[in-house]
Amino acid sequence: MRVKINEWRTFSHWKWDGCDVEDLCGICQNYLDNSCPNCSLPGDDCPLIWGKCNHTFHMHCILKWLSLESSKGQCPMDRQQWETQ
Amino acid sequence: MIKIWSMKKDTENGAKKKPKTSAAQLRVQKDITELELPSTMSTHFPNPADLLNFELIIKPDEGMYKGGAFKFTFNISNNYPHEAPKVKLTQKIYHPNLDHQGNVCLNILREDWKPVLNLNAVVVGLQYLFLEPNAEDPLNKDAAKDLLADRNQFKAWVRSSMSGRPVKGEPYDNVMA
Repeated sequence: MRVKINEWRTFSHWKWDGCDVEDLCGICQNYLDNSCPNCSLPGDDCPLIWGKCNHTFHMHCILKWLSLESSKGQCPMDRQQWETQ
Repeated sequence: MIKIWSMKKDTENGAKKKPKTSAAQLRVQKDITELELPSTMSTHFPNPADLLNFELIIKPDEGMYKGGAFKFTFNISNNYPHEAPKVKLTQKIYHPNLDHQGNVCLNILREDWKPVLNLNAVVVGLQYLFLEPNAEDPLNKDAAKDLLADRNQFKAWVRSSMSGRPVKGEPYDNVMA
């Protein structure tokens, strides 16, 4: 039997380990499983980062904040000095 | 063949024309959707397409500033939420935490801003200023001194300043709703 494929659609599902599906990035308020607002695709090019305080953000979001003097190097959730896990 | 190529070109041009929504705009959009304004506050967007510039009107229904209508302008930069919104009062009032140019002394609009805060936090903070004027860390040092020296006298001066009468020779705007 020969099958002729006229059309197909692809589908993929994406999920980071270590966070819940509903978890938001506190900075951009996007889902952690989505990319930060400056990237178009989630994944290794827009990774997550965990602090020792256990708060999680998109790496791009927290690095932008920490690069500002006004951040004083603190986690925006608890104002503790940010240290990456 | 030719057709396919020209179609591709067309879509490329189309994509370029479409203005890109910035990270700040996306975040403000979320903030505005989640904004829960009590009946004492309302927003006004002079240009509905521009979410980064709008007005907030606060009409306190209790406290010494009851009966006034205070109009603030919000100017949100493209660095939002990494930078606090710039908030200014458009009227000149007698208040320890607001100077005569309309600058606001609210910690979360200054040194305590952090990007996990949102517009709701700012709006709640502004409303609180009218319920509890704070004589510590003032922008209008004279008003703060007056509040500490004699709360009742201060209250009387707030009331008369709100209807546009001067306080100790200093003129104020009529802000009565």
